[in-house]
Amino acid sequence: MRQLGLGLAMAAAGLAMALQAARADEELPIGVVAAQSGSFVSAGNTIVGAANLAAQQINDAGGIKVGDKTYKIKLYIRDNRTDVNVSIAAARELVNDIGVKAIWGTETHDFSVSMAKIIGPAKVLQFSGNSSLGAVLDDTAVADDGWLHYTFQSEPQEWQRSGSTAKGVLSLLTPQLKSPPKHSVVFVGNDATGQYLSSHYVKALEAEGQKVDLVQYPPDTTDFSPLLTRIKGMKPDIVHFWYNGDSTLTAFPQALKLGVAPSYFLFGVDPGIYQERSLKADVPVTLSCVPVCWGSSPYPEVKQYFEKYFGLGAAKGPQSSVSLLYYDYFFWYAKALEKVGKIDDPDAVVAELLKSDYKGVVSPVPLVFNKHHQVTFATEVCMVEPNTSDQFKCAVEQPPAAPPPGDNGG
Amino acid sequence: MPMTDNSAGKIGAAPEGARARDRLALLTADNAAVPLPASVQAITAILLAALLIALPWLGLGYRFLSIAITTLYTAIGLYGLGLQFGQAGIMSVGHAALMGVGAYASAILSVQLDLGFWTSLPFAMALSAIVGGVIGLPTLRVGGQHYIIITFCFCALFVIVLTNGGTFTGSATGLDVGSVTPLPGINFDKLSNNYYLVLAALFLALAATHLIGISRYGRTLRAIRENEQLARSVGINVDLHKLGVLMVSGLFAGLAGVLQLYYLRHISPTLFGAFPSLYLALMVMLGGARYLYGPLIGAVIVNFLPEVLNLDPVDSRIAYGVCLLLVILLLPGGVGAGIKNIYCAIAGGSVTQGGGANGRA
Repeated sequence: MRQLGLGLAMAAAGLAMALQAARADEELPIGVVAAQSGSFVSAGNTIVGAANLAAQQINDAGGIKVGDKTYKIKLYIRDNRTDVNVSIAAARELVNDIGVKAIWGTETHDFSVSMAKIIGPAKVLQFSGNSSLGAVLDDTAVADDGWLHYTFQSEPQEWQRSGSTAKGVLSLLTPQLKSPPKHSVVFVGNDATGQYLSSHYVKALEAEGQKVDLVQYPPDTTDFSPLLTRIKGMKPDIVHFWYNGDSTLTAFPQALKLGVAPSYFLFGVDPGIYQERSLKADVPVTLSCVPVCWGSSPYPEVKQYFEKYFGLGAAKGPQSSVSLLYYDYFFWYAKALEKVGKIDDPDAVVAELLKSDYKGVVSPVPLVFNKHHQVTFATEVCMVEPNTSDQFKCAVEQPPAAPPPGDNGG
Repeated sequence: MPMTDNSAGKIGAAPEGARARDRLALLTADNAAVPLPASVQAITAILLAALLIALPWLGLGYRFLSIAITTLYTAIGLYGLGLQFGQAGIMSVGHAALMGVGAYASAILSVQLDLGFWTSLPFAMALSAIVGGVIGLPTLRVGGQHYIIITFCFCALFVIVLTNGGTFTGSATGLDVGSVTPLPGINFDKLSNNYYLVLAALFLALAATHLIGISRYGRTLRAIRENEQLARSVGINVDLHKLGVLMVSGLFAGLAGVLQLYYLRHISPTLFGAFPSLYLALMVMLGGARYLYGPLIGAVIVNFLPEVLNLDPVDSRIAYGVCLLLVILLLPGGVGAGIKNIYCAIAGGSVTQGGGANGRA
């Protein structure tokens, strides 16, 4: 009987301790909507990878102290199956059924915009690494009653990235060519992102003195040789494979075989992938990553980040570095919550994010949101030594101070 | 070799026009097949309507309701495809583009002229109907696989035009619209109200399909489907009826497209390309184009199967392919036919494969 009483007392004490622990660590529900299947899976998986790593690190460090409570991040990850209808259904579920406080994602313009129209009215914050959001993030949209008031673009404005990329590519390639390059061809997928990004990149190249021709290919193209042959006839100094790293990895070997140009630029192809695939060219090739290269980064923080990121089992791919468009913002959001002192005041959190800065992994310079909820950071561009797969020379280019002529920003 | 069959002799003895009419009657009678008892039809309709009306109250969550809305507006588009394929025998693999005509017409009217949902709806439906008729013009000269290829080309061309349409079509980025203009006391931003709006449109589509199915017009379409030459020989204006049903189909597609636009509130060309069109064709074949509830069944299968079985897009496509093969081999009339067969087996009635051509099964 005495033993039974002791047992009951211990059980009660255990229960009380468990309840106390539960009270101490409350849950902060955060949603992630990303393509874990379907055609955007390589980009979608990076969002999930970054979210898992950030949530684990924040929770392991004791959680987020908001007022007198400590919150542990609870991630609700939803696969949008690369389908806008599933993205919307997932956003509805996260916002209305689960009650998340913020959503990370998703990877494409259409999906992000449609989701924002659900997330915004519910006053849930959205962090999207979709640079074409710049097309809709304006004064009206981000105003207090605007439909994008709670949406933040975790990638720089496109004219900034295009400007720094163009400058970096030309500065690396010019010494390698017999004469300074004058004629560039931008080769890009004809989809929403491709159209938006190339419109800025063409102007950035023109601002650097290039004569630019734009050649678009239909999405899902696998045989690029007819278009590449046409480009060869244009006699360009540089062919810029723009935007879609996966397509570029298919098109670039075809271009090398055809001898299309005396130099190339591959956007979104990480030096790590170039090395892994043993790509080799007898002409100079430049590469850039979104936002920083995992295969060759000058920043120790980035190297440490990718060690941990891949350590969690994330796949190494052309888009792995995209994860850095999402990682830092967990910490920045947590910092804003701590500053505001409550998790149920999204307007105060938005205001805090707009007036604060955050020194993260993606940039040695602290991140700041501008009035249109966009950040600014530099671009890393690397050059591969001809006839090698693993000899890279990298440079970090700062964005220009203003959009080039003819570019109205965004 | 002379025909010795008695019935053939009788037909041969009749005047040419009467003989053709008799043969036509036989054909349509065959295809009218086993209409279910009126009481069964009424009970089915009431139960289905009750289930659909009660859906938001069943506590299934917003995710379920969102996918239900997608299913319903898809089904509305499918009812148009069901009419042209199930009743008139004209298959299309470019139907998503016709939905896109409605969606884009409404979006452009919203962006350019600030017309809201209710005002733009009739214009968008009318334009879809006209485009449906224009695409249908080749059916007067070619049919079968030739027309299917034409619809596929239209679909590809439509996407190219939208993608390169500049600010007018929003190019590849697409166009954005606001919410459905509220009615007194009804705000369509609320998901359940949006659901009921789409459900009301579905009921209209169902009612129109049913009325067409049991009408003389429906019988005429079926006569054209079964034997175009014969139908022409008895004085049916086949060309006019073909164009007519394609325009009616366009009306349905336009309605579905506008509902899709105001549900997503953002559209882009990829929504109306080849893949969505093929999925629509798949859905109508899976569900059964000749059955009143066939398109709805097809939409439910394709929209909910990945949810229920947690299939990724690749697995889903494999599953759809297997389902389609099974349906072609075992249930040429679609799952709708299968359900009817099961009912008839239980009730002890006779079953005709692919029946229900009167649209009341």
